[in-house]
Amino acid sequence: MAEHTEYFDRVAQAVVDCDKDTCLRLLDEGGDIDPLEILEKGLGKGIRRIGDDFGAGRVFLPELIGAADVMKAGVAVLDERIKASGRARESLGKIVIGTVRGDIHDIGKSVVASMLQANGYDVVDLGIDVDEAEFVRVAQEEKAACVGLSSLLTLQIENMGVVIEKLKDAGIRDQVKVIVGGAPVTQEFADEIGADAVGYDAADAVAKMKTLLGH
Amino acid sequence: MEGFTGKRVGSSFALTEEECRRVHAAVVRILEKGGMRCDDERAAKLYEQAGCTLEDDGRLVKIPEQVVADAFTTCPSGFTIHGREPKNDVAIGTGEVHFATMTGRYIRDVRTGERRKATRQDAVEGARMADALENVHGLYKSVMWIYDEPKIINSQILVGEMMKNTTKGMTWVYNTGAPNEIPDLVKLWQIAAGGAEALRERPHVLGHVIVNPPRVIDVNYTDWMIGFADAGIPITVYSATMAGATGPATLAGMMVQVIAETVALVVLAQAYKPGHPLCFCSFNPSMDMRTGLWSFGNPEYSTLGTGIAAMARYYGVPCVAFGNTDSCDTDQQAAYEKAMVLFNYALAGISLTWTLSGTAGFNFCAWDQMVVDNEVAAFVGHYLKGIRVDDERLSEETILKVGPLPGSYMHEEHTRRWYRDEFLMPELSNREFFETWERGHTELQEKAKQKALEILDTHESPVPGEVQDEIDEYLAHVRRRDVE
Repeated sequence: MAEHTEYFDRVAQAVVDCDKDTCLRLLDEGGDIDPLEILEKGLGKGIRRIGDDFGAGRVFLPELIGAADVMKAGVAVLDERIKASGRARESLGKIVIGTVRGDIHDIGKSVVASMLQANGYDVVDLGIDVDEAEFVRVAQEEKAACVGLSSLLTLQIENMGVVIEKLKDAGIRDQVKVIVGGAPVTQEFADEIGADAVGYDAADAVAKMKTLLGH
Repeated sequence: MEGFTGKRVGSSFALTEEECRRVHAAVVRILEKGGMRCDDERAAKLYEQAGCTLEDDGRLVKIPEQVVADAFTTCPSGFTIHGREPKNDVAIGTGEVHFATMTGRYIRDVRTGERRKATRQDAVEGARMADALENVHGLYKSVMWIYDEPKIINSQILVGEMMKNTTKGMTWVYNTGAPNEIPDLVKLWQIAAGGAEALRERPHVLGHVIVNPPRVIDVNYTDWMIGFADAGIPITVYSATMAGATGPATLAGMMVQVIAETVALVVLAQAYKPGHPLCFCSFNPSMDMRTGLWSFGNPEYSTLGTGIAAMARYYGVPCVAFGNTDSCDTDQQAAYEKAMVLFNYALAGISLTWTLSGTAGFNFCAWDQMVVDNEVAAFVGHYLKGIRVDDERLSEETILKVGPLPGSYMHEEHTRRWYRDEFLMPELSNREFFETWERGHTELQEKAKQKALEILDTHESPVPGEVQDEIDEYLAHVRRRDVE
């Protein structure tokens, strides 16, 4: 539909510019436009452009994070309208993510969480220093499609293997994919512990997630 | 052990004195208005006793200016990291510049070039290498982690092997968090010193006490602060704040936060033990905004470092530092990054820089790298002297005596007297003309490797047998208690 193209482009630009105020003002002004369309053609278009720019080295982490923040705020507004209209936003799947026990690094994990959210996944972010049992418990409760494990500490990544064992013990390993990431995490390590994929950076995590969950 | 001295020591900083004053004023405002989150009850009590206000049920500490001023009045202006032989004593804060070893998550094997996990034997070899090289004035962990020993006693074995293989001083940062880590390490340091009193009189360790950025005093480092202070071990206080991530993206803003965090630790340490020796430390990289990783090679890192050194001088305490490169290979990037960092620090008069053997950020240590760095340290040290001017060196008599051409200085006693003093004679660096070099030469890396192998073959531990035995006994006890 050619209608509203200019409007959607302005919403997309607000995301690219990391301009939350403009984005929210535009959403306010676009109250009678289909919120699902604004989500896909406005916010979604903007975040995909930022993702491409980051991959090409035209923008860097602060822009990625800033754009994801705008997206998050915009989605919250649109979600209300979508619910009120009796429809549902299509979620590509629920992801439980966190930094493993013994590790308090959170920036990388939060960037991945934001990018997954921005790309249509529902993300439950457990934060930092998360017990193995907690990952499993929440994955079960939320009926998660995937658990994402992050760590920057060479000595703590072994806890990722423990999470996988506990998923097996709980009998849900077959239903839950596991993606791992963080600077010391290699494909070799992932293979050793039986993880399904490694996300080498936020963009890679999104791409791998799409493959893992069959999108 | 004499460090490098010279008139260029303390000649260049990233902040002027006026700028230090402005940073200090901002630090005071941050500590008074924003304070520090305090996760440790003992620390909260100490802050309160020192005159700070507690809010949020003791979880937020606000530090008044007077408390800061009082804390610095009890800080000594310098101290010594003793060697376990007096010849290895290192003076901190007196204008001498020293270098010490770095560490790595993994090791690049000096014999095979293989990149692998470090073993107990590597821990031994790293300490021996450090003991042998003349420009190594102290040690950080000879390896970061011993992969063929259990986690729960890893720190103990590492320290034990270091204590058995060198009498040079060392430094320690929390490693495993194992329940007995602190008392066991203190015990090992005491055994190495010759007893608890001996350690107190001649501490051969510098302990690290760190803030969790932004602005959190945590339980873990409060444990270490108390452990070090009780044992009589001087400390370095700092935060690993990373510009753009856990600290502001402006370098001036970083100075404000980092110094506020550091000063909060000074207040805490002096509240616990007034007069306990301490120093600042440079460990503040910027975040590389492509990778999200810290950068030690980028100019921001040691620029912030010499800012911290300027602030340390402003407060009247010494400063130490970490120095490394981000290059994952032994290449030009590694060389230029490290050399610039070390040179920058030396000009700022930083008393001790942990750098030798480190390569690729904290990723690797390598013994041939330690040999190369030993030479770089010599270069840097030589630069610090500048041009030494005195009547003798002005050489007026000799100049007039030699006269214009065909006069030559090659025959002069004056030349024989002075050249070894005034010129550096590098061991590894090439000084040949190209054609000579082409006829046959040994690569720098190969020369470094040969020297490392020679050291490993011939350099014996200077530590007396009885001390080594006592350390071994204690390690056996630790293993029985925690592993078996």
